[in-house]
Formats: sequence, structure tokens, C-alpha cells
Amino acid sequence: MKPAAFDYLAPHTVAEAVDALGAGAQVLAGGQSLLLEMHLQRARPAVVADINHVPGLDALTVADGTLTVGALVRHRTFGSPGAVPGPLGDLFGRAVGYIAHPPIRARGTMVGSLAWAHPASEWCALAVALDAVVEVRSTRGTREIPAGDYFRGPFQTAREPDELLTAVRYPLLGPDTGVAFTEHRRTGFSFAQVAVGAALTVRDGVIAGARIGLANCADRPLRAHAAERAVVGAGPSPLLFAAAGEAAAAHDAAPVPEPYADVDYRRHVIAVLVARTLREATPV
Amino acid sequence: MVDRWLRREDERLLTGAGRFVADLRVDGCLDAVFARSEVAHGVLREVDCSAAREVPGVAGAWSAADLPGLPPMPDAREGAATREWPSLVRDRVRYPGEALAVVLGDDRYRAEDGAARVRSRIDPLPAVVTAQEAAGLGHVALRGEAGRPIDDEVWEQAAVVVESSYRQQLLMPSPMECRTILCVPGGDRLTVWSGHQAPHRLRSELARLLDRPEESVRVVVPDTGGAFGSKSAVFPEFITVAWLAVRLGRPVRWIEDRRESLLVATRGRGQDQHVRLAADADGRLLAYELTVEADVGAYPHLGVAFPMQTAWMATGPYTTPQVHATVRSVLTNTMVTYPYRGAGRPEATSPLERTMDVLATRLHLDPAELRRRNLIPPERFPYRTPTGRTYDSGDHVAALDLALRTLDYDGWRAEQARRRADPAAPPVGIGLSCYVERSGGEKGSLHDYVGVEAGEDGGVVARCGAASSGQSHATVFPALVAETLGVEPARVRLIEGDTDELPGGVGSFGSRSAQIDGAGLQHAATLLIEEARERAARLWDLPVEETAWSDGAVHPVRGTAAMGLSELVKRTGPLRIDERYEADMAFPFGTHAAVVEVDPDLGAVRVLRLVAVDDCGRALDPAVVRGQAFGSVVQGLGQALYEGVPFGDDGVPLLGDGLLDYLLPTYAEIPPIELGETRTPTPRTPLGAKGAGESGCIGTPPAIVNAVADALRLDHPERLQMPLTPDVVWRAAA
Repeated sequence: MKPAAFDYLAPHTVAEAVDALGAGAQVLAGGQSLLLEMHLQRARPAVVADINHVPGLDALTVADGTLTVGALVRHRTFGSPGAVPGPLGDLFGRAVGYIAHPPIRARGTMVGSLAWAHPASEWCALAVALDAVVEVRSTRGTREIPAGDYFRGPFQTAREPDELLTAVRYPLLGPDTGVAFTEHRRTGFSFAQVAVGAALTVRDGVIAGARIGLANCADRPLRAHAAERAVVGAGPSPLLFAAAGEAAAAHDAAPVPEPYADVDYRRHVIAVLVARTLREATPV
Repeated sequence: MVDRWLRREDERLLTGAGRFVADLRVDGCLDAVFARSEVAHGVLREVDCSAAREVPGVAGAWSAADLPGLPPMPDAREGAATREWPSLVRDRVRYPGEALAVVLGDDRYRAEDGAARVRSRIDPLPAVVTAQEAAGLGHVALRGEAGRPIDDEVWEQAAVVVESSYRQQLLMPSPMECRTILCVPGGDRLTVWSGHQAPHRLRSELARLLDRPEESVRVVVPDTGGAFGSKSAVFPEFITVAWLAVRLGRPVRWIEDRRESLLVATRGRGQDQHVRLAADADGRLLAYELTVEADVGAYPHLGVAFPMQTAWMATGPYTTPQVHATVRSVLTNTMVTYPYRGAGRPEATSPLERTMDVLATRLHLDPAELRRRNLIPPERFPYRTPTGRTYDSGDHVAALDLALRTLDYDGWRAEQARRRADPAAPPVGIGLSCYVERSGGEKGSLHDYVGVEAGEDGGVVARCGAASSGQSHATVFPALVAETLGVEPARVRLIEGDTDELPGGVGSFGSRSAQIDGAGLQHAATLLIEEARERAARLWDLPVEETAWSDGAVHPVRGTAAMGLSELVKRTGPLRIDERYEADMAFPFGTHAAVVEVDPDLGAVRVLRLVAVDDCGRALDPAVVRGQAFGSVVQGLGQALYEGVPFGDDGVPLLGDGLLDYLLPTYAEIPPIELGETRTPTPRTPLGAKGAGESGCIGTPPAIVNAVADALRLDHPERLQMPLTPDVVWRAAA
């Protein structure tokens, strides 16, 4: 388990980093996925560009109702109360504890997870549910990609190889929104078999808005549109949430078999977790 | 006796000053990396190492065809099927990961780069990964039985007969340090450093394979990061490395990494079982029958006979008058099955204890009461079982009672009743498991070399043939010798794990070190006292019985003059005892209990409480024994809920992401564990210690599975096969 030979670059500006990517480098941020892949020799980059020395990429800012997370903001940042305001911060705080172990959360980054695009990633599921926008830069300029268009498959995204994912932006959630995140996995160290994040806005006893993100329910993170349609406009109830769970399992999800979790079981878990997450997200 | 002896290993190990094989620096040492088969079974057409040899830093690359003199694995001569196990594949790949070529490099990085460039062509053949499938193909390597066949009328006339099938899944022993070997040739000698359980066995096997005198090989076991049975043999990679080191005249080492280990380390368990258990209407056991199909892996080897351990222990802790166990060991396309902590006893305990709970349900008896009616009572020892074992000593009911009290069994039954009345409450289940196991080894390994030597400086050296892979021998054995001699423990030091320093040795496996080597060291210290008294008697011109020994010194019975060991040695010359100590096997026992909560909608199992009451006779250092018990309970938890080797259709294990795929319980999964002890010394040694440390792997898994079955009120035990992953539990609950 030793990586193949590679060259190491440590750019000090975004422009240098982008130049390196243009020359074929792969980005090293937290390194929690890339280094493992390199040790297994499933990734054999000729050049690694370590962006940890680029100033400014670690910024976490809130302006005009938008949260911007820079490429070097570590997972564990979202475990600090108040790091992100309102229900969005609450949702991130609930999700982050499911990401691996404390040492991994101290190194790994949210933007790195989006760049890696593991189908079981908690952050990727939330990005599609919350209408996040990723910002990518290359020598050709800067562009923004809505999360819904960004994920293309397992470890596949709309990012071009020469583009650096510099930040991700989320609209903040209003104060009348309740949130929850649940995850089913075999051990505290495992990837999710299924994870569900939800934000429910309830006005006058009626669900006015629903955002439901599913992790590891398909070859990419999903927004559970069918489940959302099942609940919006209705009053919260266990029966409604169970129906939403069934809708997510039957219509939104496209699970693949894994050892110890065949498709039947995974669809069942999706239905159960979606119902539970919605129940927990219902504002009181 | 003290509760805790001053630990000697901790400071070194906890400050990073431990020296494991991979820490040893030898000038000019080459790292070996093996190019491995990606198919499970196939005909090898070609191996091409030429591109590997061009990689900078690669010293050489060889396939079997390049090394015609490379010896194969030692001939196991077990059973009818003989099949040579080459150290590098010659013409047929028989298990996934089998080594096709070896690449030596200046370091592991370069050697891995080289190995990645070895090209091979293999025509795949169908792979067989289960014993039942392989038995159908006739690949039976061994048939055995214990006990006598049971007449049909016993089953026909019994009030209740429970019949069931169980799978004891393949498990990886998973020591923190994988296998290691460093071979340093020099002059006419070869020094081998290896994290190993049996250095003398390794020396004699390597000497024979390399066709050189045993004295020319020295095996040293430095700090070793766990073994659990997986480091007691010689392996194809060891032979290749040792042979190349000698041939090249250069130091060569192989430091197995985790990915290799998950592919090609020996695995444990791997049995398909069928049982029948008959009882009368009062729950008295009448007969038990166990049929074992054991997957022993791709080649006949020492492990082929290990399933007999399960057959011999099939009787368990009960007075069942008729017990019959049959075994078929079957060759498959998996890496070989070998002892893993428990080694045959978990496979005996699990089917019996699972079936006892089903029997209790059928008889509407409390499972604790059913066991109490059948446990062997203390006055029946020594107890000869229908399967040929003679248990030394035991008080099984005392262990059961202590486990029930420690758990608060009645309190949990009340909580269970409360939850069963509340449809919103998640169900809880309570599981019990009574076990008896065997420690010390089998005939032929029930002895070891032990020695005690007093020096002129007042120091005492203890020597024994055991080899610690993390069991605190350096703390326990000197303290035991010191206690026997009546000297300060700090005056005694231990030498083990070095064939140049010891006239012989058997090693550490089968829970034998405390029982055999411990008793042996106590015996050797006693002989040293006798010799000291005889020498003093001669000096003082007294009859021996006029001398006495206390506090590390000999003195006349009448009078105050005392002579310490140091002065005695100065005046009478070297004082050293070397003994071959032999003792019979012993039978530790106990009761484990589990409380679980089940989420039936997801199939998730949460273990709320584990209790392990173990009886290992005299516990030399209770803190060390508790550490062993705790670790093995956690490994038992691993078998029950998490660990397994899933195979793809091509017969290759689906463990490509390492320990993300093979899930070991870590701190997040460890429930509250409460340990209890009863102490019934073995009468087979003056020391009274039985083996400790395998108990959790033996007693804990069926306790957990029984608890899950109890929570779900399952009548069909076959639906719960380990590991109880959420999908298995969900399906069983549906």
C-alpha cells in the first residue's frame, strides 16, 4: 500500500493552483480520500497540488442570505455551534457527526467531499437538497454549477479536470424551517448504507416547503423530489411521512446491491429513514 | 497475592520505543513484495517479470519458473488428499491473492512499483468458496468423528428434538501488526526476525526447507503486535524470502500490509453445521449430534485437522449422555483456514448454545433454568465426555449464577416484560451462553522448556519457550518466579522468543503459556530452591531438612545466618535449572450474557450490556487476565455482528477497501462490558492456572445471537446466521 511515484507542488495562490491543474495535477486538500486511493494505487496522479498553503480558501462567510464555504474549510468546523447561522447550521451540525472519525473530520474538507463525489457522502446529499452552487476556476475563468447539474455518477462530476473547486454556496434556511439528518450504517467507522437529510418549512400547520437529500441511494446524491411532492401542501402526520418514505424508496431512489445490503433491504431502509427524518424535522 | 503486578512493557510500548520487525534497520536490506493473482482459481499460463526488473530500485523479480529450487510448503500429510503447495504458483492458482512472483526492491515503494509491472496470464476456472459445494465435488481432505452414533429410537422417543443448521462464518484474525519476517544471512548462519508465536517450530521448518542444520538458523521474536493464531506457521512468503536471502547473501524482509493480509492471511472458523438435540419433557438432555462441513482452504495443511477440536468439544458443559460429532474437512478456493482465537471451541459452543435456547422455548422453560438442569455438577469431575475429553475441574452452576447476578437477569426479564406490553418500546432480548473450552494444547504440545538461573549479581533469569505477541509475559512470568523465590520482582528478568538463548521451546498458542510455561516456571523455581538448600546444607554440613528457604535466601532451621542467592552462587558456582515441563490439558469455562435492543424496522442491533464470567483457575495477574477477557469479548462481538468475508461470483473476497469493508468493532461499537471471575484451579498443575484469553471469542457470540432471537421472539434459529448485519436481522424479524 504505497503510492506510485508522484511530484508534489505547493501553490501559494489560486492562480498557481489553477495553473498546476491545467498541467494535469490532482488537488490535495484534506487528503482523506485521495491519499487512500493513492496508497491503493487506484489513483496514480503524476502531480499532486497541495492547496493547503493558498490563503483565503479557508474562509467561511455569510452575506446576503448566502453561506459561502471555501475549499479548505474542514468538516469539523460545522460541529462548532454557531459556525453557520440558523437551521442551516443546525442541519450541518447534525450531519457532520456521521462523517468518519474525529481525526478525519479535522483534516477533511466539505468542498473536498463535493469534489470527490462519493455516492454515500453526507455533504453531497445536502448540497443537492439545498440547491447549493459550486464555484470552479480554471485558466479559462470562473463558472458556477448548480449542485443538481454537478453530480454525474459515482466520483463523477461536471467539473473539468483543469478546474479547481474553490467554494460552495448555500442559501440560508428561514427560521420557520425544521431540519433533521439520519444515517444508517453498520459501524461508526462505516460509510452510510443510507443517509437522509431534510429541511421542512411549516406554515399554519401546512408543509410549505420540503428539501430532502438522499445519500447512497443511487449512483449519485439525490434530491427526493417524489417524496417532497408527497408532503408539500399537507399537514405533517406519521401517515404522510410514511407515504413520503415509500415514494422516496419507490420513485426517487435507485439503489445498487452491496455486500450485506441488497436492493430490497436498501429500499426498505430508505422508506424508514425518510419517514423518521421528516418526523424529526417537523418544527414544533 | 497482589491484584496487579508492576507492568514492564507499557512504558516502552506507549512511548513508541517498542521494536517490531518493521522497526529493525539492517544495512542493505531489500523489501519483498509479491505480485498476486487477481483470480481465485485458474491455470497459470505465463508470468513475465521483465518489466518489473527495469524499474529503478528493483533488485530482482522472479516467478516460480525462474526459481526451480524454491522449496514448496512443508508436506502436511493430512488425510487422503495430497496436493503440493508451492511457495510461488507453478501452474495452478488455487486461492485469490496466491503469489505469482516476488519482487525485491531497495524499499517497499520501489518493490511495489516493480510488482505492479509483473504481467501474468491466467485462464480462470470456476471457484468454489463453500464447504458444501466443494464436498459435492469430492474435495474431502479429512473425515473424523468423536463419540458414537446415536440410535434412531433415541430421537424417536425423545419428548423434544430440535434440529437446526448454522454457519460459522470465515473470520480474519486481524492483528494490528500483520505478518513479518526479516532474514539476515551472515557467515554460515541465517538470523530470522519474525513476529511469531512459535520460534522454535519456525526454525526447524526453515532449516529443513533450506536444507541446513537447525543450529545454523536463529529465530528471534521481537515485539509482536498480536497474533490470535495467525502467526504460528510457516507461510509461502516466508519460504520465498528466506530462500532468496540465502541465495543472494543479502538481508531480505517481508512486511505484510493490511490489503495483503485481508487477501492472503490465514482465516478462522468457516464451518457449516447441522445439529440435533433431544431432551425429555423436563428438559434433561438425552442426545446431541453435530455434523460439521469445514472449509479448510485451498491446500491440505496443518489446519485440516483443526475442526476435530470442534468435534471433541461438542459435548459442551452438559451431562448429555450421548453425543456424536462428525467432521468433513473440505478443500475450497479460499486461503487456508487456520486457528483463530478460540480455534474450534467457538464452533463447538455456538451451535449448542443457540440450540439450547430454542429447546428452552419449545419446553416453555427459562433458558437459565434449562442450563442449570444440565450443567455438569462439581462432584462429577474429572468428567469424561462422550466425545472423548476428560474435563479437569469446574463449577459451572456457580459461573452461571454469578453471570445472572452480575447482569441483573431478573431485572432485565422484568424490563423485557414491560416493553413487550408497550407497542412503542423497542424490544430487548437477553441471551445466555455457557461454555467450556480446552487450554494447553493437544498431545504432543503439552510441554515446554522452562528454566531459572541465579546470577552472582543477585539477579535471576527466567527462560521459557513461550513467545509473547502482547500477553504481558515480561510482567507476569518474572513476577511469578519472584513470588515463588520470595525475591523482589525487579530482580527477575525474562528471556523468551530467541532460539539462541533457549535450549528448546514450543511457543504460545492454544491458551498454553500461563498454564504450561507458568506452571513450569513455578516448578523450575521450586527446583532451584531445592538445589540451593542442598548446596547450603553441604556448605554448612547440615542435613537438608535442617535448612529452610524464605525471602529469597536459604538459612539453617535453627539460627539466624541466611545466605542469599548471590552469595550462594559465588561460593558454589553457577546455579541454573533447565527443565522440560509437561502437564495435561485443562478446561476453562464460564457463562456469558448479553442484553440487546433491536430496531426491527432497520434490523439494527444495539448491545446494551455484556457480561462475561470466566473461570481460568488461578489468574496469575488478574489485571492481565481481565485485559485478555475484554479484548476477546470484543472479538466475539465482531463475529456476532460485524465480521465476515463476502465473496464475489468470481470467488474473490469483496474486501478491496480494507478495513472499510471488513468491519472490526472499534470504540464506537464497544458496549458496557462487565467481567466476573470464578476460580476453580486445575488440579493438573501445582500452579492451578488454566488458559485465559480465548473466552470471549467462545462465549460471547452465541450470547448475542440468543439475545437477538429473544428480542424478536424467533422460533426459527436458522434465520439468524452470523454476522447479524441489519439486513439479516430485518429479514429474520419480518
